[in-house]
Amino acid sequence: MAEAHNPLEQFLIHRIVPIKVGGLDISFTNSALWMVVATILITLLMTQGMKARALVPGRMQSVAEMAYEFVAGMLRDNVGKEGMPYFPFIFSLFMFILFANLLGMVPFSFTTTSHIIVTFALAIVVFIGVTIIGFARHGLGYLKLFAPSGVPTVLLPLLIVIELLSYLIRPISLSVRLFANMLAGHTMLKVFAGFVISLGVLAGWAPLAFIVALTGLEILIAFLQAYVFAVLTCIYLNDAVHMHH
Amino acid sequence: MTADPHPSSLKDLEARLSDARQRAGIQQEEERDARTDGGPPPTSAMGLALRVGIELAAGLAVGGGIGWFLDRWLGTSPFLLLVFFVLGAAAGMLNVYRLTQAMNAPDGRGGGTA
Repeated sequence: MAEAHNPLEQFLIHRIVPIKVGGLDISFTNSALWMVVATILITLLMTQGMKARALVPGRMQSVAEMAYEFVAGMLRDNVGKEGMPYFPFIFSLFMFILFANLLGMVPFSFTTTSHIIVTFALAIVVFIGVTIIGFARHGLGYLKLFAPSGVPTVLLPLLIVIELLSYLIRPISLSVRLFANMLAGHTMLKVFAGFVISLGVLAGWAPLAFIVALTGLEILIAFLQAYVFAVLTCIYLNDAVHMHH
Repeated sequence: MTADPHPSSLKDLEARLSDARQRAGIQQEEERDARTDGGPPPTSAMGLALRVGIELAAGLAVGGGIGWFLDRWLGTSPFLLLVFFVLGAAAGMLNVYRLTQAMNAPDGRGGGTA
């Protein structure tokens, strides 16, 4: 029982359709499967939900409209009107992370965002994209972001290096935060589920009650981390668009 | 939602959107108070602590990593690793400082976003 229910077993990657191109293993895995499921569900929610185009929205239309309003409001608050052209990207990012997190809460599913390589790929796309937007809008003037004003010339080289490092930390902290939250939460759920079995009928109720509370917390964290990822992307975008801290 | 054979530019779309809004008598979104909805979720102290911790650890990791690679490249081991480790720590603290500054700002933007 114990070895079959290792709390970390849920994070194993299985090949569903093995594909090899050259020396590269690009198999369709369980992780890829759940990414596809998330994408399909988002597409269905948005297209089917908005099909009716009712003035008084039904349930699905309400959810679709709320998601739109939420992300649009977030972008408007953090970047302003100039940020709206980037709405499709932020919206896709938010919805993908949200659905990947929430689908991870479905029993026997796989949490794609619990793998650092997935979250790091998302973060590095944001990082490179924001940097390109910054240079495209301000040219070489974007480099002034690394030179704080009103600093003695002696300290300037040191501060530029520190500012540069602080800029390079962004993709790391962005990806580690999402990955660590998902990994820790799901591991904790499995560990406490193991306690229920090992404590048996008599004392197993305590961890069982705890799991119920923890599941609620995990669903909150699924929302919160998707929000945090999107809002930090907005803040970075604001730096690139307006160039001030 | 329907596939347009002639995709128009974003500006054109914006003009069409505001036209449609005016015809439908819907108030322009920009006129609303910007901070009525979509505000930050309830602040949790644990989320904030986790964020500060990750920020510091990431600073050390990035600084140490850059130092290590530069050392390998330039053959100056271990001096650049030590220097960049300290600089990375400083950058991490700078990020934490900015985080707390944003938290103390009157509008509270970026505050407590786990």
